[in-house]
Amino acid sequence: MAQTYLQNTREQTAALKLLRKRRWGGAAPYLFIFPWIFGFVVFTLGPLLFSLIISFFDWPIVGKVTFIGIDNYVEMFTDDPMFWKSLSVTLKFAVLFVPLNIVLALALAMLLNQKVRGSAIFRTAFYLPSVISGVALAMIWSWVYSGEYGILNYFLSLFGIQGPDWLNDTKWSLVAMVIASLWGQGSMMLIFLAGLKGIPKDLYESASIDGAGKIRQFFSVTIPMITPTILFNLITSIIAAFQQLTLALLLTGGGPMKSTYFYAMYMYENAFKYYKMGYSAANAWFMFLIVLVLTFLVFKSSEAWVFYEGEMKKNPQKKLKARKGGQTG
Amino acid sequence: MKKRISLIVLATTMMVSVLSACGGSGGSTDTAGQGESGSNGTKTLRFATWDTGDTLKIEQDIAKKFEAEHPGTKVQVEAYADGFDQKMAAGFGAGNPPDVMYMWDFPTYHQSLEPLDSFAEKDKDLNIDDFYKGLFNYGKIDGKLYGIPAGFTTRVVYYNKKLFDTAGIPYPKDGWTWSEFQDIAQKLTDKSKKQYGFGVRAENDTYDLQGLVWSNGGSFISPDGKTIDGYMNSKETAESIQMFGDMVKNGSAVLTGGKGQQSGDDIFKAGKIAMWESGIWPLESFKKAGIDVGTVEMPAFPGKPLKGVLAESALSIAKDSKQKDLAWEFIKFYVSDESIKMRVADLPVRQSVVTELKKDQDPLYKPYYTMLERSDNTPAFLLNPKWNEVNRQLSAAVEAVMHGSNAQDVLNQAVKDSERYMK
Amino acid sequence: MRKVITYTLLIVFSLLFIAPLFWAVTTALKSPQELYLFPPKWIPSEWKFSNFAEAWNIQPFNLFLKNTVTVTALSTLGQLISCTLVAYGFARFQFKGRDFLFLIVLATMMIPWEVTMIPQYMEFNYLGWINTLKPLIVPSWFGSAYYIFLLRQFILTLPRELDEAATIDGASKLTVLFRIIVPLMGPSLILVGVFQVMSCWNDYLGPLIFLNDQTKYTLTLGLSQFKGMYGVDMQSIMAITCLISIPPLAIFFFAQRYIVGGIATTGIKG
Repeated sequence: MAQTYLQNTREQTAALKLLRKRRWGGAAPYLFIFPWIFGFVVFTLGPLLFSLIISFFDWPIVGKVTFIGIDNYVEMFTDDPMFWKSLSVTLKFAVLFVPLNIVLALALAMLLNQKVRGSAIFRTAFYLPSVISGVALAMIWSWVYSGEYGILNYFLSLFGIQGPDWLNDTKWSLVAMVIASLWGQGSMMLIFLAGLKGIPKDLYESASIDGAGKIRQFFSVTIPMITPTILFNLITSIIAAFQQLTLALLLTGGGPMKSTYFYAMYMYENAFKYYKMGYSAANAWFMFLIVLVLTFLVFKSSEAWVFYEGEMKKNPQKKLKARKGGQTG
Repeated sequence: MKKRISLIVLATTMMVSVLSACGGSGGSTDTAGQGESGSNGTKTLRFATWDTGDTLKIEQDIAKKFEAEHPGTKVQVEAYADGFDQKMAAGFGAGNPPDVMYMWDFPTYHQSLEPLDSFAEKDKDLNIDDFYKGLFNYGKIDGKLYGIPAGFTTRVVYYNKKLFDTAGIPYPKDGWTWSEFQDIAQKLTDKSKKQYGFGVRAENDTYDLQGLVWSNGGSFISPDGKTIDGYMNSKETAESIQMFGDMVKNGSAVLTGGKGQQSGDDIFKAGKIAMWESGIWPLESFKKAGIDVGTVEMPAFPGKPLKGVLAESALSIAKDSKQKDLAWEFIKFYVSDESIKMRVADLPVRQSVVTELKKDQDPLYKPYYTMLERSDNTPAFLLNPKWNEVNRQLSAAVEAVMHGSNAQDVLNQAVKDSERYMK
Repeated sequence: MRKVITYTLLIVFSLLFIAPLFWAVTTALKSPQELYLFPPKWIPSEWKFSNFAEAWNIQPFNLFLKNTVTVTALSTLGQLISCTLVAYGFARFQFKGRDFLFLIVLATMMIPWEVTMIPQYMEFNYLGWINTLKPLIVPSWFGSAYYIFLLRQFILTLPRELDEAATIDGASKLTVLFRIIVPLMGPSLILVGVFQVMSCWNDYLGPLIFLNDQTKYTLTLGLSQFKGMYGVDMQSIMAITCLISIPPLAIFFFAQRYIVGGIATTGIKG
């Protein structure tokens, strides 16, 4: 453990302080992140700026390009009901999907974290949906959800339940999309699982010596220890929710009655169905800003609730300090 | 430590140089080289298609045959399937389109396509007169020809003979009416067996509905393409669309899934709907699924002439193509008797081939050709350059009707919402 | 009792996740007459294994497989190397503009591809990379935000004292990374590897946009050849899906025990 290092190297404290200072400055960090900077400048920045520029143009895929200033943005906010509609669909989806996704993935990961026989098989089974390509996935769901002839309603009918016409019913379609999206939680579950496995066993032991029950252990050991993982999954979930497109595109086409018309789909259609590249770019930049702000808020808030073992000192969490104290002392 | 850092520098500079080397060498040969003669003198012609499966296979065979007859030529068949529209957007948007491509959306793309009038006029081999009349109109924008018809379909009613036999109902015949149709649909519906007389699409392509609307004397837009008020929301238009909505409401038709969902085709194959309305596309798969299928003309509205709508696929040449003459040769080859006979999944566009193959005598294929004779109206998207936008409103309205709204109301609303695109 | 509940839950969820794939397999095996029956026929009356071979041979899938393996292997290697370096840089150093740059890293995850697709196409076209596998491979060598973020989170959970002690012993930053950090990162690196393999293997849009010639196609593009504008060959799609899911599934099966076995044993004892 880290503590043993500390104890062995007490005499090096002075050297450590010096080192921490040295973390600042020097070219080394820039060299490490250089590949990303290079890739960003070459492959991302150009296209990104280009899209920003065309958002001020009327830019059909073929034909004349005209500068129209901020007209695209003005139209979007003042004169396009579909903009607001799709934005609200996406927000609804995000509010349902993000928490459910994290809770489900964490619950499944904890389930798999038990000592059981055949855990490799179970893990593989839980991850299975993530291996299947999108085209087939959408097709499978269409057969599950079909109202009259669907597999899901067939099962429900065996229990005497008359299921709704999931994808043709505006009340259920978004729920159906959330369920279908949750089904592919495999990656997130895996990340949680890796995080759970990384929690040192002795923390649970000392917690249980302190008299903490399973539930208390979960909240005072498990959750704090996987906060970095939660932060990661939270941010990527939010982004995924806003970019949700494949399922809508392949399964519902945004319907019925635009009830699954995600913002990403709206953007996509503006670009590839209505060929309004400039307008679509304006849509995209707006979404980009929303997600950026959301991420920034989450990230800023994380300083208060995310605990990094590597950066202990910055963290004000009392429980953890208490734990650390209890252990080293 | 210094040494290590210099290692990183070395590594990254290597990456950079590799990258730029790739770029440098590639830039001159790959892009520019495409199409023009390479070092060994072969010319590569890029041909983009949306077809899949067996149809694609046939197209690849035609390409091979063309290569055999034109030594030194390679036809690169680019099959984009469902991603065709995106791929075209990327290709045209970045100025790197294929030489020859399948095309239907002429209003959108015509500015990037090569007008073909001069090619067609001076080339007697094409034998324009042999094509079915009217097919050429679909590829014309402002009087200029941008596409040579390669295949087409009209829409007919498919029926499941077994379900008709079981219920003791005689097969429908050409010249039938929508009220007869609704009667039969009612009789063939058996909810306990989840069997329905007809299937109505939850999300209709408004293009496909035009035949129905025209048959009732309605239309989506005025013949000059300038007005929708009084057309899109006319009594006739609303009535014809309302009819489908009513059939869903009274239970004689099942609502079939939207875009990617279990489609009416699938349910027809399951033997759960007795009648289904579509183009030629699913015919082969119906046979393959073991359905004893019959086809019949669309029903008419009493006392009104039956009208059909034509879905056409044509071949076009990109304006940016560097080898238009070769591209033209390929198109000509593609619509020659020889190739048309190979393409069994399409309906032949040449009268001589149809006569020779006796397609118009075959009861299964005859309705497509009789419907063709009735398809002389011009579809809305060719009449107004902003149709795409108007159609957005119209589609939403039609979808609402299928979900139970009143057609007249929602169409009035759609007209109101579309007016700004009509100026 | 606890065990019983655990196993019950495990089995129920497994069934939920497997059932649709089971349906895909049986669909692939059915005869065309049984495909669309309702109520669905779960067990085909005749097992048509020939359907697999037929679907595979309609298009040159062997070639697609080769292309996919090339792209997947090279891009995964690239991601692993570049993301490790970058994540380490962000996790273990404090430097001017670090937080800002990291926010940009995160921001790149949020860029919708709809808008960058065409400019990117233009750029690759200019470089002469269209219709080559390069656009699918080369960018991977410069890191991807998702993995950088993921690895950074992992490195941050490692006790800093580990590398500090090593640094005092005179090791360079790069030595610390490869001798101390990377061995501890094993599980997360395998995780990144698995994710990259999956996303690369199943990528549809990249290959669709950047490849033209069928000889360059990947498996998913081959798969999409069964889904046309006017009809879908469901049976072939299911057959090919089953076949092309096997390699990533096998990779996952062998990788998963390293992912979950990892940190607990190597990290903490180290």
